Amino acid sequence: MTAIVLIDTLLLLLVTVTAVAIIEVRNLYASAMLTSVYSLLMALVWVNMHSMDVAFTEAAVGGGISTILLIGTLVHTAREEKPRKRRLDWKALLLTGLCGGALIYGTFDMPRFGDPKAPIHHFRVPEMMAQTVGFVTSRAGKQAPPEGFDPSAYRSFNGAVASVPADPTDTAWRETSILAQHGIMLPKVLGHASHPAAEHTEAGHHQHPPDDFNGHVPNSVTSLLAAYRGYDTMFETTVIFTAGVSLILLLRRPRREGYLQRSAPLADQAVLRVVTKMAIPFILLFGLYVITHGELGPGGGFQGGVVVACAFILFALIFGRPALYRVLPPPVCDLLTGLGVLMYSGTGAACLLLGGQFLDYSMLNTLSPGDGEALGMTLVEYGVGITVSMVMLTIFNQLAEEQSK
Amino acid sequence: MQAHEIVTTVLLALGCVISLTGSYGLLRMPDFYTRLHTAGKTDSLAQVMIFVGLVFVTPDLLTQLKLVMVAMILMIAAPTATHAITKAAHLHHLRPWTKGDPGGEP
Repeated sequence: MTAIVLIDTLLLLLVTVTAVAIIEVRNLYASAMLTSVYSLLMALVWVNMHSMDVAFTEAAVGGGISTILLIGTLVHTAREEKPRKRRLDWKALLLTGLCGGALIYGTFDMPRFGDPKAPIHHFRVPEMMAQTVGFVTSRAGKQAPPEGFDPSAYRSFNGAVASVPADPTDTAWRETSILAQHGIMLPKVLGHASHPAAEHTEAGHHQHPPDDFNGHVPNSVTSLLAAYRGYDTMFETTVIFTAGVSLILLLRRPRREGYLQRSAPLADQAVLRVVTKMAIPFILLFGLYVITHGELGPGGGFQGGVVVACAFILFALIFGRPALYRVLPPPVCDLLTGLGVLMYSGTGAACLLLGGQFLDYSMLNTLSPGDGEALGMTLVEYGVGITVSMVMLTIFNQLAEEQSK
Repeated sequence: MQAHEIVTTVLLALGCVISLTGSYGLLRMPDFYTRLHTAGKTDSLAQVMIFVGLVFVTPDLLTQLKLVMVAMILMIAAPTATHAITKAAHLHHLRPWTKGDPGGEP
């Protein structure tokens, strides 16, 4: 049993225990806190699987903001679960057992974790790599694979590692890709002759390492989400926008006298004030970093937006909502909610007007399509970030504005 | 074993032991305040020790700096969180345990 399997087993055991505890605990506040623990444990499981983006989202959304919103809801409802008769429902247990058994049976057919022979690496990845992000030549728009790249050879590659040396300390073989060892060409990024950066390179010679996507968008998750599945992410953002709008329609009432309760009782706590004042600039900076850096590493609009929203919520919790409304009045918040979606679809429309297809970012810079890709994705990430943070803040504000019983 | 590995091992082991004592205190102590008293302090110190221990086996400077920064943030954030929880309990008039109350003797 390797260390990773051991850690995974331990973590999944803890996840199961936490899940049972969430159901069993009668105090709803404890239940809400346990869901946060559950999310953090799941984030650790994702980290163990090397999927940092998912782990980041799980930690920020599941562990962070949803706990705040759950507790915000519980303030208006009951503290304890209603007592109910406990009896074993045999039919439900049987059905659950059968479903679980079928799912476990299904996993026997799945490829091993990280298996290079898995179908995903041979049927979807070649097409994905043939997208604009992978093969940027001098021509803007959808790119054809460059000369020498054979998608069919790529697809039929069985993933077997050619030569692993017996000596485990000899790790040099990892430096070259398995594909390169088999003589299958990796996507190469070609410099444009008239691009300023190309002066330092031979014509047609790649300026960056082959997997570096012209120095931009090396994070495959972002290039997948924002380019390959750009529509998908746009509609995800729209779903969040719709959730925010429906919440405003459902909960917002005309502002009566005293809708702003008196300043929070924590405002006179010197330690909390000082630490919050110190922390908020860094939280905001980190949120902006996560959004901007989303194309280069784990992170992106969703996670960054949640982090930014958390900074505002922290401010409101310590200094009271009147102070928050002076910084960010609700009308501005509503406007920004829409602006984010507008930025996303506007980027797509700009590409359309420049002669490409919808969300074909390479149109934004025809001289160096790689730069266009990077610019488009940054704009799109900012759109997502603005909408997500403002919707989260709106949910918090609406929950807080309800008169607590 | 090289010198920096020994430093790391000692710091990690110390961090683990301190964390364990905190967990034991959490189970052993009679009421809310004393439990936070053990858990808050030991956790802050143990986490910082583990992060500082990891600095010595990290090869590149940037990651080392990040680890030190995380340790520093934890040194500020963890006691503040404990303070906030205790203060909230105090504002809700949770009475501290005194000698003679039930739950004190194991």
